[in-house]
Amino acid sequence: MSEVIVITSGKGGVGKTTTTANLGVGLAMRGKKVVLIDTDTGLRNLDLLLGLERRIVYTLVDVIQKRATYEQALVRHKKYTNLFLLPTSQVADKTAINPEQMAELIAQMRNDFDYILIDCPAGIEQGFQTAIIGADWAIVVTMPEISAVRDADKIIGRLQAEHKEIKLIVNRIRPQMVKEGTMLDMTSIDDILSIECIGQVPDDEKVVDSANRGVPVVEWDSSQAGQAYRNIVGRMCGEKISFMEFPTEGFFTRLKHVFGH
Amino acid sequence: MSEEIVKFKGSRSGLVLVLDTTADFAAIEQDIRTKLESGSNFFRRGTVIQVLPGVLNEEDTAKLMKLFHQYGVIFRIADNEPAAAETVAETAAEPQQPITAAAADTGLTQNMTVVNRTVRSGQEVTSQGAVLICGNVNPGAEIVAGGSIDIRGTCRGIVHAGAYGDTSAFVIADHLMPVQIRIAGLIAQAPDQIEKPDCAERASIKDGQIIIEPIER
Ligand SMILES: Nc1ncnc2c1ncn2[C@@H]1O[C@H](COP(=O)(O)OP(=O)(O)OP(=O)(O)O)[C@@H](O)[C@H]1O
Ligand SMILES: [Mg+2]
Repeated sequence: MSEVIVITSGKGGVGKTTTTANLGVGLAMRGKKVVLIDTDTGLRNLDLLLGLERRIVYTLVDVIQKRATYEQALVRHKKYTNLFLLPTSQVADKTAINPEQMAELIAQMRNDFDYILIDCPAGIEQGFQTAIIGADWAIVVTMPEISAVRDADKIIGRLQAEHKEIKLIVNRIRPQMVKEGTMLDMTSIDDILSIECIGQVPDDEKVVDSANRGVPVVEWDSSQAGQAYRNIVGRMCGEKISFMEFPTEGFFTRLKHVFGH
Repeated sequence: MSEEIVKFKGSRSGLVLVLDTTADFAAIEQDIRTKLESGSNFFRRGTVIQVLPGVLNEEDTAKLMKLFHQYGVIFRIADNEPAAAETVAETAAEPQQPITAAAADTGLTQNMTVVNRTVRSGQEVTSQGAVLICGNVNPGAEIVAGGSIDIRGTCRGIVHAGAYGDTSAFVIADHLMPVQIRIAGLIAQAPDQIEKPDCAERASIKDGQIIIEPIER
């Protein structure tokens, strides 16, 4: 049984691509057969986070326009051979692919993988429609900020109108700021979005470092964000894992558990 | 996007479909379909939409009737020339102008639109009559009602009751903390710091001003 999941957010720059790369590698580390599809045509960077840029020959646009089969376009991960990337074009734009074409491609691919993760572009235009159309359910990524939560809410409304199930990841949490009351806490976010949360990822410098190296933090034992991503992967596989406690100066704070309520 | 070819305007006798008569019918039909499919709950099931006589030919009217019907919307030709010129589209854009037409005596406030979910950012609920929301009204959402608005949840969006001039309309919510409340032609802005009230409240017009008072329910 394959699962097709779109990773989306509304607001840009909140961590969709980072999430896609980490969950993809995390699932592959558990032996799942996974493909990551980059739909951010024109602004691709999923390949960079996975260190796969040099291996790209064909792209999603070539596949859609029938210049290549999707098998030809897949790029296999160096270390996890059951992980694949379907990269997109750096030169075409979002109009190169329409939602119907995408739906057709996903239908064709879905029996060949355990998980298909789709990295969605920012915004709510055609790129968004194309990214979500073939998905069984959606992960909405947000940050603990009013504007990001507002945009997440809008995206959730759109996804619900399309009858997609939705789960939430809150990224770049800074426990110290939450404690001081200068950053939204989980309770306030849940108050507005009321969506099941499957991940609370701290802000972690290692994420930036790992992006530069093309090795997602989920592989790094020492990274807090990496641990948070491993936990999300576990929850996606049906395990009950409680949310991490993030150390702040002198104390431990426990973020409200909203998973599974 | 340029000027819209399809508009829905509120009038005293209900929603009126206004068309750019220079656009061809296929484009009009497609535009309506897109709006209906957009998923925003602009049209509740059972909503009546009228078109002025003579705007569409018989064949096109039948096509639109079928299209609207698929979405549970009743489409018909207005029987008498309604006072459609007096639409709310303009008044919504410039709400500081007092609206004189009273909806109460036309019986429009009798029907109620019920929404059993949270209304999220970017979504809009519009009704000729009263509106009951069983869920929250989130920041960035808008509720516009000819009659009163009752929210069984937290209201953080924008609410406009008595949108066609009914000054006796009111807004009730379990937690009333909208950024803006409009009743008929009046607007009240929220203070900079909004605290979550711990009891239900009602906003209504008293002595020409919007006031908020706690209520029991
Ligand atoms: N948990 C984190 N801690 C620190 N930095 C992070 C974290 N998550 C993401 N970032 C950084 O934030 C930036 C944006 O992340 P990313 O590219 O994943 O966002 P995106 O939502 O895909 O953006 P876009 O909308 O442009 O596609 C990147 O520089 C990334 O390294
Ligand atoms: Mg991205």
